[in-house]
Formats: sequence, C-alpha cells, structure tokens
Amino acid sequence: MKTEIGWGDRIFNVINYALMIFLVVVTLYPLLYVLFASFSDSARLLGHKGFLWRPLGFSLEAYKSVLNNPGIGIGFRNTAFILVFGVAVNLLLTSMGAYVLSRKNVMWNKVFMFIIVFTMFFSGGLIPLYLVVKGVGLLDTLWSTIVPFAVSTFNLIIMRTAFMGIPDSLEESAKIDGANHFTILFRIIIPLSMPVIAVMILYYAVDKWNGWFYASVFIKDRDLFPLQLVLREILISNSTDSMSSGASAGDRFQIGETIKYATIMVATVPILCVYPFLQRFFVKGVMVGSLKG
Amino acid sequence: MKKIAAAGLIIAMLGSVLAGCSSGGKSGEDAAKGASPGGAAESATYPLKTDEKLSYWGDITGNLVGVKASHDEIPFFQKWQEKTGVPLEFTAPPAGQSKEAFNVMLASGDLPDMIEYNFIGDFPGGPEKAIKDGYILKLNDLIDKYAPNLKKYLQEHPDIDKMVKTDSGSYYAFPFIRGDEYLRVFQGPVIRKDWLDELGLPVPETIDEWTTTLRAFKEKKGAAAPFSVVSKPRFFNESGNGAFIGAFGVNRGFYQEDGKVKFGPAEPGFKGYLQLFHDWYKEGLIDKNIATADTKAVDSNIASGATGATVGNAGGGIGKWQPLVAANDPKAVLVAAPYPVLNKGDKPKFGQLNQAYASEGTVGVTTGAKDPALAVRMLDYGYSEEGHMFFNFGEEGVSYTMENGYPKFTDLLMKNPDKLAPAQAISLYARSSYNGPFVQDKRYAEQFFALQTQRDAVEIWRNTDAAKYNLPSITPTPEESSEYATIMNDINTLVDEMTIKIILGTEPVDQYESYVAKMKSLGLDRAIEIQTAALQRYNSR
Amino acid sequence: MANRQSFLSRLVRDFVLNKYLYIMMLPVIAYYLVFHYAPMYGALIAFKDYSPMKGIMGSDWVGLKHYQDFFGSYYFWRILKNTILISLYTLVFEFPAPIILALLINEVRKKKFKRVVQTITYMPYFISLVVICGIITDFTNADGVINHLFMFLGYDGQAMLQKPDLFRPIYVLSEIWQRIGWESIIYIAALMSIDLEQYEAARIDGASRLKQMLYITLPGLLPTITIMFILRMGNLLNVGFEKIILLYNPVTYETADVISSFVYRKGLLEFGWSYSSAVGLFNSVINLVLLITANAISRRVSQNSLW
Repeated sequence: MKTEIGWGDRIFNVINYALMIFLVVVTLYPLLYVLFASFSDSARLLGHKGFLWRPLGFSLEAYKSVLNNPGIGIGFRNTAFILVFGVAVNLLLTSMGAYVLSRKNVMWNKVFMFIIVFTMFFSGGLIPLYLVVKGVGLLDTLWSTIVPFAVSTFNLIIMRTAFMGIPDSLEESAKIDGANHFTILFRIIIPLSMPVIAVMILYYAVDKWNGWFYASVFIKDRDLFPLQLVLREILISNSTDSMSSGASAGDRFQIGETIKYATIMVATVPILCVYPFLQRFFVKGVMVGSLKG
Repeated sequence: MKKIAAAGLIIAMLGSVLAGCSSGGKSGEDAAKGASPGGAAESATYPLKTDEKLSYWGDITGNLVGVKASHDEIPFFQKWQEKTGVPLEFTAPPAGQSKEAFNVMLASGDLPDMIEYNFIGDFPGGPEKAIKDGYILKLNDLIDKYAPNLKKYLQEHPDIDKMVKTDSGSYYAFPFIRGDEYLRVFQGPVIRKDWLDELGLPVPETIDEWTTTLRAFKEKKGAAAPFSVVSKPRFFNESGNGAFIGAFGVNRGFYQEDGKVKFGPAEPGFKGYLQLFHDWYKEGLIDKNIATADTKAVDSNIASGATGATVGNAGGGIGKWQPLVAANDPKAVLVAAPYPVLNKGDKPKFGQLNQAYASEGTVGVTTGAKDPALAVRMLDYGYSEEGHMFFNFGEEGVSYTMENGYPKFTDLLMKNPDKLAPAQAISLYARSSYNGPFVQDKRYAEQFFALQTQRDAVEIWRNTDAAKYNLPSITPTPEESSEYATIMNDINTLVDEMTIKIILGTEPVDQYESYVAKMKSLGLDRAIEIQTAALQRYNSR
Repeated sequence: MANRQSFLSRLVRDFVLNKYLYIMMLPVIAYYLVFHYAPMYGALIAFKDYSPMKGIMGSDWVGLKHYQDFFGSYYFWRILKNTILISLYTLVFEFPAPIILALLINEVRKKKFKRVVQTITYMPYFISLVVICGIITDFTNADGVINHLFMFLGYDGQAMLQKPDLFRPIYVLSEIWQRIGWESIIYIAALMSIDLEQYEAARIDGASRLKQMLYITLPGLLPTITIMFILRMGNLLNVGFEKIILLYNPVTYETADVISSFVYRKGLLEFGWSYSSAVGLFNSVINLVLLITANAISRRVSQNSLW
C-alpha cells in the first residue's frame, strides 16, 4: 500500500533524522572516550587535554592488569549466578504482584498498594536489614543478594501499569473457558506484555549486574564476591588520588589512570549487549494479533 | 651464621635507636637480654607457645588489593604467625568498605579477638567511647604486664606516650608510630628547576620572589597556568598545611600561638593571603580553572608544561610528575622549594608535618577476646628489636640483606620480577610501606624515594616551625563532638566560599571583615572554646 | 450496623472470590513484611544518638535534636531552595526529553537505524558518574570544547563551572545527555501496545505524521507518563550528592549545594548516622506528601493512579 507523502511529513522526516543523528553523535562520545582512554598510554593520557579522538599510543597493560586479577573469573561466575537466579526470582514475584494489583474488584489492593509504596520512602537502614538477613540464614551466601531484593517497587508499579492496559475482554473469555488466575497470568497476560517484560529483564539485570554494596556487607567469603565488588577493589587500589597521600606512592600510577577506564569497559560492555538482544521483543501490535486470533 | 646475623641486627638497632631517640644506647643491650625495664613484665621470648588460635580483623592494604586475595596468602602475615608463635585467623572487609563492615560487625555482636582500625578518625566518639561502650579493652594493665617492648618505647618517648593515650590516660590500641621526623614530612612547594635556571632565577623563598618567578614563567615560558594546585573539594586543599598562607602567619584551620587556640581564617593575616591570591589570579599567574582543578587536571597541567609550580608530595607528587613531565620535555626537573615567607631569612611558621602517632593501622583488643594476655604479648612483638626489623624490612635474606649494618631491600622488592611496584612488593614482606602496630624506620623511606630530588625535598620542607604551632591530635569530648561538628560544618562552608569568591573576584577583598563577623555569629568562639578545652586536656595527659 | 455487616460480608465474599489472587499475592506481601517492615524500627535512630555497640534500641534518645541542628543551620533555607530548584528544573526539562525521544524514534521507518539510535543513546547511562563528570569538567573549562565554540561565535571564554548561574543548566543538560536513551526505553515499550488500527484510520483521514503522533501516540503513552510523573514527584527532594559534589565547588555553592551534599560534608567531620537518618526521614515525609498529592490529582484528572 502506498500513501502520498506530504511536504509536511517530508520536512518532519528530515528534521527527525537530523535530530537522531545529532543525539547519536553526542551520546556516543562518552563511550568512545572511555574506550580510547582504556587503550591509551597512561602518561600521555594524563598530559592530554580536550577531545580524545583515538587512543593516545596503544597499550594493553591496563586490561592485562584488570583481567589478571585472581578474583575476576570467580566474580564473573558469581555474577552470572546472581543474574540468572536473581532475575528469575524478580520476574516471578514482580509479575505475580503486578497481576494481582492490576485486577479491579480486589478489595485489599488499595491497602497492598499503599503498603508497598510506603517502603519507597521509609526504611530502617542497613543494620536492621543485616540482622534480618542474618536471621533468615542468608548471610554469606549468594542468595543474600537475591532474596532481600526480590521485588523492586518501582518495577512492580511499571509492570502493573502495563498489565492494566490489557483489555479486560481477553481475560473474560479465558475465564469462560475455565482458566484460573495462574493460567491467565502466564498464558495470556505475560505473552501479551513481552515489551514490558523485556524492559523488566533489562532493569533487573542491570541492577543485579551493577550491584556491589549489599554483597560487600552480606558476603565475607571472597570466593562469593560478585564481579563489581572485585572491580571496585581494583579501581580503589589503583586510583591515583589515593596514592598521592603520604610518602607512599609507587609507579603504579603509570597505569593508574588507564586502569580506571579498562575497568569500566570490563564492567559495562557485557551488560550493554543485553539491550540489543532484548529489542527483538519490541514488536508492535502484539495485542491486535491475539485479539483477532 | 646466625650469630653474625644477630650481631648485625644489634648494630643496626643501635643505629636506629641513636637516630630515633634521645635516651641513649643501652636500650639495645636490655632488649637483647630479653629483660624489660619495668621489672614486673614477663620476659617475652618469641615464638610464644600456645595452642590457641586468635582471630584478627583488618583491612588488606590498598597496595596489595588485586595482588593477593587474603591475609593468608601474604608472606608477611604467614611469617608473623610463625615468628610470634600465635596462629591467626584473618577476616578482611572489602576494600573501601571497612567502615560499613566494621559497623555491621559491631551490630551483629560477633567480635574477633583483635581489630585493626582507626579508632580516632573512624570511630564515632573516639577511642574513649569505644572503651566506655564496652567494645575494646582498656590496655593499661595488660601493657604493664605483657607488653614490655611497647612499654619501654613509650617510657623513652613521653611525647609519643601522650599521643597514644586518651584524655583520661587510657591506652586503647597498639599504635603505629612514625619513628623519625623524616617520615613525617612529605609535602611542600614544588617548582620547575630547569625553568628557573634558564631564566637565571633562584629558587624563590619570599612571596615577592614567588610573584617575580610566576610572572617570568607566564611571560617568558608561556605557561598558561604558572601556579596550579588541587582545589577539590576546596580551593588549595593543601593550604591546610600552611603553604603560602603560612607566610601571613596563619593557616587554614586551628593552630596554637602563645598558649591560645586560633582559627586561621578569622585572623588578620588571612586577608593578606586572600589579597595575594586575588592579585595573582587577576594577573593570570594562577590556573584559570582553579576552582575545578582536581588531581587529574593538575597532573595534566604539570605534564604538559602549562604549570611550573605547585604544592605536592615527595612520593605521590615529585615521584609521579617527574617521569610525566620528562616525557614531554627531557630537560625538565622538578625540585622542592622551601615554604615561602614574607621576609628573606624568616623561618616558615607552618608546613606539612604529620604527627608521630598515626591513628590508622592501630590494633585494639576487643572485649570478646578469649585470651587478652596472649593477644597483647603477640602484638608487642612489633616493638621488639627483632619485630622492628621484621615489620620494617621483612625477612633477612629474602626481602633485605645487611650491608654494613644497613638493611638494604633486595631486588625482589625494588625490581620485582612480577613487575610489582616497590610499594606493593614491600607490602608483601613487610609493613613499612603502609602502617601497622610497630615503629616505622627511616631507612625504609631512604630507599623508597628513588630520586635524589625526593630525598632533598624532605630536608627542605622540614625546615619550619610547624611543630610549635600545629595542634596535636586533640579530640572534643563525646558530648561536645556533635555540637562542634555542627558549628564547624557551617563555618567551613562559609570559609571555603569566601576564599574562592574573593580570589576569583566575585566579591571584593573588603568583604573579608563581614565574613569574619558571620563566622562569629555561627559560633566560632564556642568552637575555639571546645578546642581550647581539648588542648588543655591533652596537655595534662 | 447494617452497613458493617454488609462490609463484613463483602469482605468474606471478596476472599472467596479472589482467593487465588490472594494466594498469589502472599509471597509478595511476605517479602515486604520481612525485608522492609521488619527492619523499619531502625528509623528510630533519627531520634537517638546512635552508637553501634549499644545497638538501635539501646542508644540514647535525643528527641528532636538532630532536627534542630538541621533546621537551625545557617544554610538550611539555601540548601532546601537549591534542592527544590534543581529538582524542578530537572522535572521540567529532563522528564519530557525521553518521551519526546520515544515519540520521534517511533516515527523512524528504517528498522536498523532505529535500533542503532536506541542502542547508542542508552549507553551514557552506564558510564560511571566520575567519568561523566570528568568529561563535563573538561568540556566546560576556560579552554574547553564548549568555550571554543562560544569563542568562535564571538563570546568570551570562561570557566563555566566557576559561574554560579551556569551550574543548574549544566546539571540539567548533562542529566538529559546521560539519561535520555535509558529512560526512553520504558516509553518505547509502552508504544508497542498501541492499537495499529488507529493509525490506519488516521491515515485514511489524511492526518499528517505530526498529527498522528500528537493525537494517537501521545495519548497512548499517557498512562505510563502519568505513573512515571507521580513517582518523580515522590522523589522531588532526592537530589543525589554524587553528581553534585563531583561538579560543584565553593564558588557555586550558592546555587549548587543541596541537602544531600550538605549532609555529606557534615558526615566527613563526624559519623552522622543519626543526623543523616533524621534528614532522610524529613525528606521522606515531604516526598510522601508530594506523591500522595500528585496521585490524588491524577486520579481526579486522568483515572491513572497508584491506588
């Protein structure tokens, strides 16, 4: 089917593409900067000012130093565990909660909702949480970074909003066929909400991937440290700032500056790859198809 | 062979004793016999005999993070257990998280036997409170009975003894002591010697000479930012130690003069300092981006030759910049300049000078300790003759060799085959490159500073009256500490703002007096009162 | 009496009718009770002088002392004003940016180009703040890239982060720069559920692309936008200290110093567990009130609400 493209639409297109390209150029820069800096020669990088258009010199020392760290392999393994099981737990609980909260005619929903939102504002702080985690026996296990963070309230609300947008008619017809709520949730609602599920996977995965703080508090065993905690230690021990105190400074600063960037690359590139993969769930008109079918 | 080593050791110790303390040479003999001067104390022969395993909580030094994953893998800690005869079980918090981990450990109630921690800087309410709250032991009796080496050291150094006690006279930890002034001075003005030579200028000593020099750097060397210093989080951070500002008789914080505690920014000299830097900024002698100059910006300015003078450390400053700047300009040489004064020949009033007692790296014994006496005897090792060598230089034959009575680090440390930096390699075998429960030895630093300019720097910078004017490390009482913090938080914000605004010319220099009035209204007098009381308590320790 | 009975009977009926839903909700509520409500007594330290050894319950009560310190501070009004202003500017300028981006990306017809734009614009979100702020500082320097641009256009170069007036614009613009792509994802996902038939109908009526965007796409996003907006309102007083302290300096305190950075500086002087928890509680109360208000307004106006 061909439609006439009016002048207005054409101008709109041109402006739109121009804007997009501008945005891409502007937002690509920080990543390129980190990339180039990570391959640069540390001394030259320190002496450099202004734009960075290519690596200054070429050196893999920083990457060697990061990847040779004994904790990296273990860190990757632990993070993979946390990511897989954590996101699974997150999705299961969040979708169940979101489903219930998106139903109309459930008397307690308003109360539930307030109970849940209230926790976005008030918390007891680190120590009481630590004692609870200790009490339920999760201390010093990888599950201590999963179970206490099983639901993110923010994500729960987003998912609920998405579920509320699904027409009731679908659910009604399923009910007539004798389906129970579990069937409706997992067979109808979730397949219809793949775009938002993809977003949830992304949000939760990024959260799990970047998380280090609670692991540092709940986990003492170094064999259970997640990747980010290992990387953070590398970063801290190599920061040029911390080395300039006192009379002690070695020549580690030779790579101190670039190591920061190499660490960021190692820490972010794997998670950056998640999104392009999830994008294939962003398909238009899922709802329409199922309505007709 | 063993005898020769032992003899060498004694000679070495005599050397260090002569350098380090005033009370004379017979101490070496005493310790060699294993007797203790107090008489009551048990003679300590290491290794101790025990079946008990003690638990020990402490950071792994930043030098070794990423090199070794735990204490057990670090040769020093393996040997430490061997030498003292006490097996240890170590727990280390993740790097950079020790405060949180510490807090959580206290809350959970599982206390190890020993804790290595900064009880002054990082414990709310300070060591006195830590004892009062029933968390670490008051060690006075235990040290009397079981720690002859530490006791002897403290008796011989009453000034240090004063520092390691609390106001009420309690010992609370095994201290880290910088055994020589040489280890306590490491910062001061740094300048491009090659530029000076080229321009036929002397190393500047007075403020006027500095102005001339910076002007010449700008006009003749084309320096875009002749003088630049790290100004994050506040303008000229290091002014806290008194560089330049000291020429006007004040510093950035509290100091003592004629028996009174004074706050530098509220004293008249501060206005002179503001005026000077205002004029310098206006003339373009200071970095145009001074308010945002962080470490990286200053490094970059120095490396690229935009900056010819700054204030920095011997290790982390000169040691870092020299190779950077030489990479761009092979002739470049950075040297130390003395702390500036107003009139030629004056002795600088202020300069960087750390306390002999550093509160980091100290080890306390907890109330949960199974056998406090054993823990104390074990910790005392670091202050014995043998322990002194071990903590500073590691194992003879492995990490150092004796050359004419001088412990020389081996190539295993200084030119490490695994390409570890000396600071890292030293930390594997000894603790002199960071801290711990022992007395740090000057001979470590002499070898650690690779460049002659670094070694000279320390000698140039130590020529100040800082010891006279600096406050010792005094602490407000727990009751006053929160009031003090509230007042000083507001005042510091005000001073930081005033300083940079006047220097950049956002506000005229004449505004200075009105700021002083504001400081007073924020409770400056009360803060001075609290500090004065704390000083009195300190002096009467 | 009759009323209550009917309420009770409704309650029972509701339980019977929705029992599977309640079973489903059970683990979620249990999670909140155990990991959020059980530790909540810890908030008491806002009214105590917390000492780790004495524990939360055992520490001494000090009543409203920390609040007196906070409200009584010479800088209280300034930091409150700065916090609100920075938050409002961010709300006005940064909040709509990802929505606009989502709408515009939706109009791109070339699939590959679309994906590339999405993937690249979301990247800055992952670069740590230290690096981002380092780049900002570099660019806004007296001899930085942005000033070169201005000088080219005939303006004077100046160290922009030394100008109090420029702090908020720099903060907000960089916020857009770093977050626009990441935040647009949720809107792009929401776009997927808009009925395609509406567009067909509009096209047949000869509506231009711009009109379709404004009259079909935007309304389709409205529920998501509303919810995001309400949640934002509940965060109005939370301006994180990290970016602020990386970008500010004492010259710009007058426009840049916010509650969190102020508390951070105080924390450097002493351990402020109790103090910072008191300030946190103050923030939370205000935020909760704002959220409830926003929610109530939204329920009246648009039927979209949290409860």
